[in-house]
Amino acid sequence: MTMEKQANREDLIASLTQELEPVSRIKPRDGAFLIGFATLVAGIACIAIFEFWSGMITGEASAFYWITNLLLLVLGAASTSALISSALPKVGARGSAPFWSAAMLGVVPIAALITITALEANHDHAAHVQSVWNDAATWYWECAAYGSMAGFLVAVAAVLFLRRGAPVSLERAGWLTGLASGSLGALAYNITCPLDTIAHVGIWHTAPVLIWAFAARIAVPPLIRW
Amino acid sequence: MVADEPTFARLMVAAQDGDKASANVLLTEVGVWLERYFRRRVPPHQTDDLVQEVLIAFYTKRATWDPKRPFLPWLAAIARYRWVDHLRKVYKHDAKELMEDDAVEDSEEEVVMARVSLDRLFVQIPEKQAEVIEMVKIGGLSIREAAEKTGQSESSVKVNIHRGLKKLATLVEEVE
Repeated sequence: MTMEKQANREDLIASLTQELEPVSRIKPRDGAFLIGFATLVAGIACIAIFEFWSGMITGEASAFYWITNLLLLVLGAASTSALISSALPKVGARGSAPFWSAAMLGVVPIAALITITALEANHDHAAHVQSVWNDAATWYWECAAYGSMAGFLVAVAAVLFLRRGAPVSLERAGWLTGLASGSLGALAYNITCPLDTIAHVGIWHTAPVLIWAFAARIAVPPLIRW
Repeated sequence: MVADEPTFARLMVAAQDGDKASANVLLTEVGVWLERYFRRRVPPHQTDDLVQEVLIAFYTKRATWDPKRPFLPWLAAIARYRWVDHLRKVYKHDAKELMEDDAVEDSEEEVVMARVSLDRLFVQIPEKQAEVIEMVKIGGLSIREAAEKTGQSESSVKVNIHRGLKKLATLVEEVE
C-alpha cells in the first residue's frame, strides 16, 4: 500500500484512490462493548481466583464498601464514555465529567486517611482509632495490586480501541485510559474482597485508579500515536 | 471554490463505501480545504508537505467518521492534530524555521496575522518564558546573548524556552 508522500499531491490522490477499499465505520458502541467485555473477563477471572464475596448479598457489606464500589462504577462509566468519544476526532468542548468523578472518588481515601491518622487521644474515638491502626485490614495492600492487575485487561481493550480510532489528544486519551482501567479493574477485583472497613476500601480499593492514571498517562500516548 | 459541508458528507459516505470516483473528488476537495486551513498556520513551503500528510491520515482514518456527525469539524480535528504534531517536530528540530514565517515575501497580511496569533499565545505564558522564546526563537539571538539581555542564567533561558514551547504547543492543541 502506498502510504507515503509523493512528488505532487495529484499522484498521492491517484495512488490512494486506486487502493481504496470499503471500510466499516467505527462505532462508539464497539468501544463500549470491548471495554465492558474486558471488565467482565477481569471480574470473572478475579472470582475464579479469589471467589465471590457473599457478604455483598447477605447484607454484611458495609456502607463504605458500597459507596466506594459505586463511585468506582460511576468513574468507570464516565471515563469509558469520554475515552470512546476521544477516539473519534471532533472539534468542540471536551467534557470534564471523568475528572470530577475522579475527584469525588478522591474523597474516600481522604476520609480513610483522616480516620487512620486522627489520633485525638482524649477524644471518645480514641479506642476506635487504635483499633483502626492495629487492624490488619488497614494495611492489607495486596488488594491494590490485584485491582491494578485486573485493570491491565481493561487497559489493553482501551488501547486496542484507541488504536483503531483516531484520538486527537493523546495525553487526554492516556489519562482517560488510566481512569477507566483503574476504576473498572479495581471494581472487578473488589467484588471478591471481604475487607470492608473505610480504612481498607478507602485506600487499597481506590489506589489502582491513581496507579493506572499516572502509568497510562506515561505509557499510552506512544502506543496510540498515529 | 471549496466544496460545502453537504457535498463533503455525501462524497465521504460514498468513499467509505469504496466508490473510487467519489474518493478522488473528495481527496482533491479536501486538499483544497486543507491548503486554506494551513495557509496561516505554517510557512508556505511546508504547506504541501503537511497537506499530503493530512490526506494520508484522512485516508487511513476514514472509518472514524460517523455520517450522523458533521464532516468538517471531523476533518478540522484531524488537520489540527497533524498540525500540532508538525509544530512539535519543527520545534524539536528547527524552531527557528517555524517562527520566522517566510510568508514575508508573499504577503504582509500573513505576517501580521502570524504576529497577532503569537502575541495572543504569548500573553498566556509567563513573561520570562515569552521573552526568551521571542529573543532566541524569533529574534535569532544565542542562548548566551538572551541570558545577558534578560539577566537570566543560561540554564534558566534554556529551561524557560523548553517550558514555554511546551506550554505553547499545549495552548495550540487546546484551540477549538
